[in-house]
Formats: sequence, structure tokens, C-alpha cells
Amino acid sequence: MAAWDLAISVEDLGPDAPPVTLSVASDLHVGGVILKLVEKTQIKRDWSDHALWWEQKQQWLLRTSWTLEKYGIHADARLLFMPQHKPVRLCLPSGITLRLLACFSNPVFQTVMGICRMLNIRRPEELSLLRPIEHKKKKKAKDLEEEIYDLTEVPLSSASRPCLYNGMPAHFADSSQMEAIYKMLSVTQPPPAPEVIAKQYRPASVVDKAHIHGRWLDSSRCLMQQGIQENDQIWLRYKFFAFYDIEPKYDVVRLTQLYEQARWAILLEDIDCTEEEMMLFGALQYHISKVSQSEPQMMSSSAAMDDLESALQSLEVKMEGESSTASEMLETMTAPDLNDYLKIFRPKRLTLKGYKQYWFKFQDTSISYFKSKEESIGEPIQKINLKGCEVAPDVNMAAQKFLIRLLIPAPEGMNEVYLRCENEQQYAQWMAACRLGSKGKTLADSSFQSEIQSIRSFLAMQKSSSSSHGNVPASDESINTHSLVSPRYHKKYKPKQLTPRILDAYQNVAQLSLTDAVMRFLQIWQALPDFGLSYVVVRFKGSRKDEVLGIAPNRLIRIDLGVGDVVKTWRYNNMKQWNVNWDIRQVAIEFEGNVNIAFSCVTADCKIVHEFIGGYIFMSTRSREKSDTLNEELFHKLTGGHEAL
Amino acid sequence: MDDIDAMFSDLLGEMDLLTQSLGQETVPPASPPSTNKDVNFSIGFTDLNESLNELEDNDLDALMADLMADLNATEEKLAAEIEGLKVPSPPPSDLPPPPTDLSTHPASSYASPTSPASSTGSSVSTPASSATSPIPPPQSSKPTKEEIEAQMKADKIKLALEKLKEAKVKKLVVKFLLNDGSAKTLMVDERQTVREVLDNLFEKTHCDCNVDWSLCETNHELQLERTFEDHENLVEPLLAWTRDSENKILFQERREKNEVFKNPQNFYLWKKDRKALKDIKDKDKELLVQENFCGTSIIVPDLEAVLHLKEDGKKSWKQRLFQLRASGIYYVPKGKTKSSRDLVCFVQFDNLNVYYGKDFKSKYKAPTDFCFVLKHPQIQKESQYIKYLCCDDARTMNLWVTGIRIAKYGVSLYENFKTSEKKAAVSSVWTNRSTPSSSNPSTPSPTIKAKSPNQANGHAPTPQPGPISADFGNIPPPPPPMADILPPPPPDPAFPPPPSLPSRGSPKPSLPQRKLPTNFPPPPPSMDNLPPPPPPPPIDDAPPDFLPPPPPASGFGSLPPPPPPMSSLPLPPPPASFGRMDQSLPPPPPDPEFLPPPPPEPMFTGGGGGPPPPPPPPPPPAAGGGGGFPRPALRPVGSVKKMPPAPPKRTTPSLQGGGGDGDLMSELMLAMNKKRGAH
Repeated sequence: MAAWDLAISVEDLGPDAPPVTLSVASDLHVGGVILKLVEKTQIKRDWSDHALWWEQKQQWLLRTSWTLEKYGIHADARLLFMPQHKPVRLCLPSGITLRLLACFSNPVFQTVMGICRMLNIRRPEELSLLRPIEHKKKKKAKDLEEEIYDLTEVPLSSASRPCLYNGMPAHFADSSQMEAIYKMLSVTQPPPAPEVIAKQYRPASVVDKAHIHGRWLDSSRCLMQQGIQENDQIWLRYKFFAFYDIEPKYDVVRLTQLYEQARWAILLEDIDCTEEEMMLFGALQYHISKVSQSEPQMMSSSAAMDDLESALQSLEVKMEGESSTASEMLETMTAPDLNDYLKIFRPKRLTLKGYKQYWFKFQDTSISYFKSKEESIGEPIQKINLKGCEVAPDVNMAAQKFLIRLLIPAPEGMNEVYLRCENEQQYAQWMAACRLGSKGKTLADSSFQSEIQSIRSFLAMQKSSSSSHGNVPASDESINTHSLVSPRYHKKYKPKQLTPRILDAYQNVAQLSLTDAVMRFLQIWQALPDFGLSYVVVRFKGSRKDEVLGIAPNRLIRIDLGVGDVVKTWRYNNMKQWNVNWDIRQVAIEFEGNVNIAFSCVTADCKIVHEFIGGYIFMSTRSREKSDTLNEELFHKLTGGHEAL
Repeated sequence: MDDIDAMFSDLLGEMDLLTQSLGQETVPPASPPSTNKDVNFSIGFTDLNESLNELEDNDLDALMADLMADLNATEEKLAAEIEGLKVPSPPPSDLPPPPTDLSTHPASSYASPTSPASSTGSSVSTPASSATSPIPPPQSSKPTKEEIEAQMKADKIKLALEKLKEAKVKKLVVKFLLNDGSAKTLMVDERQTVREVLDNLFEKTHCDCNVDWSLCETNHELQLERTFEDHENLVEPLLAWTRDSENKILFQERREKNEVFKNPQNFYLWKKDRKALKDIKDKDKELLVQENFCGTSIIVPDLEAVLHLKEDGKKSWKQRLFQLRASGIYYVPKGKTKSSRDLVCFVQFDNLNVYYGKDFKSKYKAPTDFCFVLKHPQIQKESQYIKYLCCDDARTMNLWVTGIRIAKYGVSLYENFKTSEKKAAVSSVWTNRSTPSSSNPSTPSPTIKAKSPNQANGHAPTPQPGPISADFGNIPPPPPPMADILPPPPPDPAFPPPPSLPSRGSPKPSLPQRKLPTNFPPPPPSMDNLPPPPPPPPIDDAPPDFLPPPPPASGFGSLPPPPPPMSSLPLPPPPASFGRMDQSLPPPPPDPEFLPPPPPEPMFTGGGGGPPPPPPPPPPPAAGGGGGFPRPALRPVGSVKKMPPAPPKRTTPSLQGGGGDGDLMSELMLAMNKKRGAH
């Protein structure tokens, strides 16, 4: 065969270096070309990650046994010799940016798998990569300041499961810096400053949201093919909202990042919720940030430590002997005393006008009151059982007003009672007691002290926010409650108005452990009516106006843009088939009962819609019975489109 | 009046017996004296804490005795108060009865029977037993000044605490109305769930146990009705009833309870047209249930409807557009969009239950009769805090009520459904295998004595071995007075060994029936009879005071012939053997599985209604024997699987079975009412 010259640019020689010219024949295979090329550069290094990229065809020449002829390469081909893994700036759901090596040559699906392996996130099929939203110019300056955590030194491994060391992948255990990075991945971030929330881009409409979903990268093509360059910023996000097999023990990073994505979705109103729900989300965020600061170890401790601990515990038990168990029982059955002079006011009773002072005694789940301390041995004037009652605060720090409003259920209805406390300390104790009582718990409950603490810290929040009007950064003791809610509520309420409302919601979640609180947050998020919807603006066949297609884990919905209403729902399990006509870029779906729909996509490529539908169908095929290995082939079959065929 | 009193005390005594006998099957420690809401037995725990540790041994014993005395007092008070209660709380007492009471009349026995000893549960350890026998102060075996065994002391403290805890357990005797107008009465303890109570009722009624069986609460005054969820505790909502309330508990099939799991499409795809919903495939239904109940989060049906809301304190109804979300019910304020952020919260579900309203069209001038209500469970009368909503049609109403239940109870509903499905499956197997007991639950008891009703007790979950049994096992024989008046339990001559008709395959012990003491022939002379009292091992159970001879132990393929009568009286099997009953033992105590022994009274016929032969020979436990058996087997919750040699259970004649209870209760009520009227 005739030899001809092939010019290849070698990236490692620098952008300005001339291409290296090789003399090749058409029957030379790609591996041979690389060999020749490496010899000619005379650079000694590890070339194993390098491969040839064919610029005109936007294609990697990864099959080293294929000949140039088979690839169809002629002398005019512009080939580039470069590493397949390049650094990118990866923005996590938590907002942290990592610099790490991502694979530019494999389909994005595999690139994501590699990234997730490195970060110790299970179920990588639920995530994907997204082009970032273009920042406005003023933001550029800030980008530079942004701290970037470098993970480019992490060796590329192909092991499917990284081995764990101290509960984290071994490569994070190498140095203290790496350990710190892992901690950042696995611990929730503190609430953002209100200004940060306010500055973030917020989609204002369904159409805005649809535009975001047009940014998903194509899972079946590689980064290089999609115009991503070295050091570009890309977002890693959960894309398929079907979270399978969450196991807090193994899913520390996964859960943390999922929580972060959910939290930002709430804060930026990417998903709508009611005011009550927002307050609950706020309370959970407050609780999560508080607990994660106090017990930063959400990661599972090593087995050895567990053993030691349990051994110590059993030793202790032995030494204490049996008699202590009895005293422990006593302990648990014994509640701390709580009695004091308080003032009471019953708005509806004529017998008591204004606040009157009595000696109050808290017992079990009831409050009894007496004329005076001295008379507290006899029958109380009244005994109020708090079980099932509603407890609400009415506090004004500035005015030193500490009221507890009780709505006590009785056969005739609810009786309103106000208790007035003298000071913060008294209020925190009685408020905590009333809260426990309303839940049918006594002061013996272990949560009594922590309840008091949390009430006091909320009081502190109110104090600081009322003294420092707004935007002064929150001290560590108190959080600006504007950090916990979306900007809409920044306008609607002052922080000190928000505080009691969040505290109100907080009492129902204050006892949760960190993991439970995160799970609760996710559950409430998932229970929102709009949860899991990804939007695309489409035009249905035969219709002349744009409409929105919502893609959920189990169904498609059609939303009328004018009214904002869901006009139609189709479930995947009624779907017989779906097709994409790649020429006219139209998606056609057939449902049972002879229902056919077809639409073209306006804000996203139809490949994205196709991938969403196929992806959700793939997600539903995962089940516990099957092996844990990811059926990559099936995913591509369902999502690949014509290129995969 | 005296009659009533006597009757009442009879009743109480019976209850005790029942609890006792039931106790055998249940693992939990001794049944504490039940307290009812009115008589709340409160002891300052703080004081206790300080003092208990300081106490010397005999002080502890004295304390125990005091406690017992207190309990006795409480019980007496209770007995007095019970009359006034619609839902009388059973007065099971742990306390060993003062012997004197016993001698006076049987009725008083109620106080005595419960075995305190049981508190220790399965193992009646010596310390426990000593502690349990209240009256006799410490055995004095321990010299106080000498080294006190810390262990003993700790045990006693523990025991005392357990008793205190137990003492706080509330129990109610609840009457359940059946569809046919009859009623069943069970004792329910506050720890029991509706599911457990339903299981007991299944045993008693022999219904088909399908998943629709439910307990419903009706509020007469407000014209409300609510189906309890199976995981709820039954006692708590009942305690909210007012004294004079005419509320009722119904035991009936309610389709709507689990409809969402049978036809999820009607709730989750309610917007689709009905024809499409009808044709939905089972596979798709399953998928819907999976999607909405088996994920990380429970999904509440996405409901939206214009409902009529009764305005606070007014008679008018106003329309609003309501939405149901997991976090509560919201409405769309006038002039606003339906967007989530504009919604106004109408109610959240933390402290509210949802009720169906009955006949609101006439009561409140509602636009339709399809109304539901949201209120705090404690509210029993008209109040501005009750929210009344009215739907256009029944379908909408069911959608909303079910949706609210899903939002409120979440995955518990699904778990309840799964449990009841299992129960239904198991029981259908049973019915196939075992001949259903022939007893007709609703048959009125033709017994001569109306007074001595059989008490249908649910099992008391915590019953313990009766004191008596414990006594037999460990302690000297029961107090002499008992012997005089009351027939000693096992060796009752009058009762031939009960013919036990074991219903095969039914693992559950049959409910011991209560007999009237009065009917019983006097106990055989103590000398002759006493030795043979079957001392059931304390662990297994305490035999009720008046037990018919032990029925044959279950598991026997063929029942031994009736125990050989001693002298003229048929004696129960020898006690010695009791501890370990072998199959070979002729007159084994009745197994829990077995149906109660033969009817004590001649009047009662075992199965056919014919009078039993005077000396009732125990019918052979032929497999088919079940047919004659009147009594539904009661299955105690948490019954121990292994069958202890059954303590002699009380068996009642079959006839008395189901009807008796209702009769008893209604009679009692009647009598009380009369009495009240007289005053």
C-alpha cells in the first residue's frame, strides 16, 4: 500500500507546536499510529490515557485495532492526540466546586459513573451533567474568588466500588486536605446568607424551568462531542427523580447532595410549596444545620470502633450490676420538678379578668395551679391536661413579653389559655414542658433539656435579629431566618416575624437525628405535588401554540401555558411505545386505548425528552431482586436513539 | 337494689376470673388493677424515687402492702363509680383479696382474684411471689439488720415500679355493637390496638375475618361516624367520651377502609373518566399502590374540589376551592391563582381526625348529605372548632376522607391493610380446616340465671397467672374461706371435666367462660378434694377461682375419658401432673386451643342445645367434635404459642356464648338505669 503523510497535533507539546507528521499506510491500525507518534515525540511519559480525536468528525479513534482505512481517515484529517481524562470544574448540588478529572471520551453516562465512583455516590444513573447557566457579567468577578477543591490528583481507577477506609474511599484518606474535602461532600452546608439566595438565578416561570432542562448533556455522547472543554464548568445534578434503595449507612454523600439539591430547589422556588410547607422546610434546615455542626460525623464510624464501643458498654453494664437497673428505671420514671409562680389569663371566662398570679405545678402531662405555693399540697384550683393541646408562642423580646398560648381540647371545644412568664429562662422551661405535654410526654422525657435549649436559641435569634435589623451576618449562635426560606418570604416577613413561625414548625422535628431529619426533608419534598417534574416547552402536533410537557418519574403531563393547569396526564405504564423521528425531530408516543400523541420540542433537543422517558423506564426496571450491577446496555438501548442502533 | 349490687359484684368477680385465666396465655406481667379515667391512681414518682432506695427490706414489703391496700381501695371506689360510666371500666384487681371478702359472698371476689404475682411474668420467682402476697408482710425470711441482699431489694423496687406502671394501665369494658343488633363485650386495655381488638372479635363472632371488618365510633350528638384505623389504640379515643354520651362502638364491615388499596385508581387517577378506571388491570392497580405507598415518601392523592364549608358559628355554607396536600388542606383565596404559594392553609392534620357526617342536610341545612367533619378527637359537642365540609356527591366525599386519612396516617394505613390481609388469609384457611364452632354468637343465653352472664372478655393482654395458681404452685393452698363458699377451682365436684370439643387447627385458646359461682355446687369437702386441685404451674397460668375441671389438653388426638369422678364427684385430674401434662394424663387441663369444658349447668346443652347429661361426661375430643361446640375460641393477643397445661378454664355452655355478653351488659345497664331512676 502506498504511504501517505498524516499530521497529528500533540496536545502535550503545547498549542503552538506544529503537528507531528507521520508517514502511514491506510492499512495501519490506530494503535500503530499512536506507537509511531509516541516514538517520534521522544517524550517519555505515561501515554496510556491518551487517544486520537478526529476533529472534523468529532469522534475519538478508540478502537486501536481498526485501520485508518476502516475509520475512513485520509491525509486531510485533523487528528489531535490528547488525554481522555481532563480536568473540569464540577459544581455539586451543594454549590461547592470541585476540580477533577473527567472522562472526555466515553459517553457522558460513563463519565458520570466515574465521577460518582470518585465521590462515593451510589446509583450514578440518577445523576447527570448539565451545562451551567451563563452568568451575567458582574458575576464573573465572583467566580474567581470561588474556592475550588482540587481532586485532580486522585488516581483514575476502574474498580467498580472503591475500597473504604475509615468510612470513606481510600483516596480521600490520603491526606488531611483530602479528608476535609470528603467531609465537605458528606456534610450539609450551613444555611447560605440571605443575599446569596437572593442573588441566585431563580426561574420565574415554567418556561424558565424548561430552559434549564434544555441544558442536560446527552448521555450517549462524550463530553468532547458536546463542546465541553478542559476546565469548563459543568454541573452535577440529580436528573431522574426516582431514588432507588437509599441506605443512609452507605449513602452519606449521595444523601447529602440530594438534600442540598432539594434545599436549593426549595430556596430558589424551583418547586412550589405553600407557606406552611416552607416553614417546615425552614425548620428542618435549621435543625439539620444545627445537628450537623454538633455531630459532624454522619459517616459511619469504622467497625473496629463500634466493636470497642459496644465492648466498653457491656463492661459498664456488668460493673454497674443489677441494682442500678432498678435505679435507672426509677430515673427514667422520675421527672424533674417544675413549679413556679406564673400568671394566667383565660380570655373567655368571666371569672378571671386579666392576668392573675398562681402557683403552677407541672405534673405528668398536666398543669395544676394553686392559690399559692403554701397551698400546693391540696386540691388544685384547676388541673389542665395538655395532651393533644396546641401550644403557640407569643413572644416579644424587646417588650419582654413571654406568653404561652394554649388551646386545650375539651368536649365542648377548645379552651384558650394564656400563661405569662416573667423572663426568658422561665419561658423556655414552661414552653418546653407544654410542648412535651401536648405530645403526651412527661418531663421525664429525655428531650426536655434539648427542647429548652432550642427554645432559648430561637429566642436568641429573635434578639439578634431585632437588634441588628436585617442584613448583618448571623452570628454562629443564631441564624438569620431569612437564610432558611425563599426570597419571597424575605419580602413578606421580617426575620423576627419568621422566627416564631419556624419555631412553631420546629417543635415537630426537633427530636430527629441528622439522618432522620434529612430523610424527612426529602420525604416532604417528594410529597409536593410538583415533585420530580422536568419541563420542556413543546408543540403538539396539530396545535398552534406552545405548551409545556412535564416529565415525571411515572407519567407525562400536558400543561396549558395560558392557564397553568394540567390538562392531561399519561402514565408510562399505559405506554405501548414511543418513537422519535430524528429527521423532523418529533416525538411520537402511543398509549393503550389507541391514544397517540406527537410533539416537537421547543426548548430542548428531542433527544433530551427521549432520554428522560427512556431513562425513567430504565429506572423502573431496577429492582432489588436483580443484581446490583448497573445494566448500562439497557440504559443506552432505552435512551440512545438512533445513534445507539 | 341488693340484687343489682350482688349482680354487679358478681360481674366484677367474673371479670377478675377471666382476666386471670386469660393471663396464662399472655406473656406480659401481671395485670395491674385497672384504673379508669375517673379514678386515677397516682403516686408521686418523685417521692418514690427518693424513698425507695432508702428503704429497708421490710419497709419495702410494707410499701407493697400499702400499695395493695391502696389498690383495693381504688377498686372499691371504682366499683362504686362504674355504675355511672357508660363504658364501665373493669375492675380487675391485682390485689389478693382480703380473705374475709371472699367468705362473705362470691361477688366480692373480684377484688381478690387477680394475681399480683404475675407481675414478674413468666417466672414467678420467689422474691416476686413474696412480694406479691401482699397482705402477709414480708416473709421475714430475711433478717432486716443483717446483710440485705442488694439483689432482693433491687428486685422489689423493680417490682414495685412495674406494679406502679401497671397500675396506670387503663382498661375499659367496651361493648361492640354488631350489625344484627346484638353486641359483644370485651375488656380492652389501653395498650391494645384496634387490630388486636378486631382479632379478638373475630374469635368471638366467627365472622369471615375479611379486611373490611372495622371498629367505628359514632358520635350521637354530633351525628358523626369514624372508622378507627387498625394501628390506633382503642382506649384513648374512648376516654374522650363524656360521661353521658350516647356514643357507640360498632363492629362492622366498612368497604371504604381499605378501598384505596383495592381500587387505587379511583383515588390516584380520579380525574380520569370512570369507564377507563373500571377497565384498569390488576397489574396497574398494584403498580399504583407501589408507587404511592412503597416509595421513600407516601404520596397523597392530588385532590382539588369545590366544597361547601359551614361558616363558623353560622348556618350558611360557603363554597371554596379546596386542595389536599400532604401537609394539610388548603383553599384558594378569592382572586388568587391556584399556585402553591398563594394557597391558604385551612387545616393541618396533627390534632384532627376526619369523620363522616350523618344526615347533615336536616341537621345543619347542608347542601347535600355527603359531609365530612374535621375536629379534635376530644371535642364531643358542638363547637366553633369543628370544621364542617360538604361535598357534591358521595364519590367526592370518599375521595376526600380517604385522602385525608392517607395524609394523616401515611404508611400505617398500608401496613394495616397488609396485616389484615394476612389475617384474612389465615383465617380462611382455618375455617376450611376446622369445623367452625357451632355456637351461634348471637344466640341469647337461655340460662336460668340471667344474672350470671358469661362475660365475654377480650383477653386481657397482661393477665398473669392468677394468684391462686401461684398459690397452688408455690404457696400453701388458697385461703380457707374460699373453700367454704366457693368451690375450689379445679376440684369442683359439680363440674365434670368439661367435655372439650377441641376445634382442630384453631390454635387459639377458647375463651374461658365464666360461670356463676352461685350455680356451682358447693365445693367438695376440702379434705377430699383439696389434694387434687390441679396446680397449674404458675408460669403457665393461673386458674380462675372457680374453674371447672380442666378440660382435656389440646393436642390430644383423642381425649381421655372424662376424669374419673372422685367419690361421687368427678374430680379434676391430679394436680401433680399439671406441671407437665403428658398426653397420657387423662384429665388434662384444657388446652388453650380447646373449647371450654362442658356446660356446668344441666340446662345448657353442649352443642345441640339439648341438656347435657347431668354428670356431663366430657365429650371425646373427636375431630368432628367441634360441631357441638358452642363457644367461639377466643384468641388472646400475644398468646404464648406453647400450650401450657391449661389451667382449668371456665367453660360456659355453648348457648351462652355470644349472646350472653350482650345480654349481660344490657341487663346490667338496665338494672343500673333502674337503680339510678330509683334514686
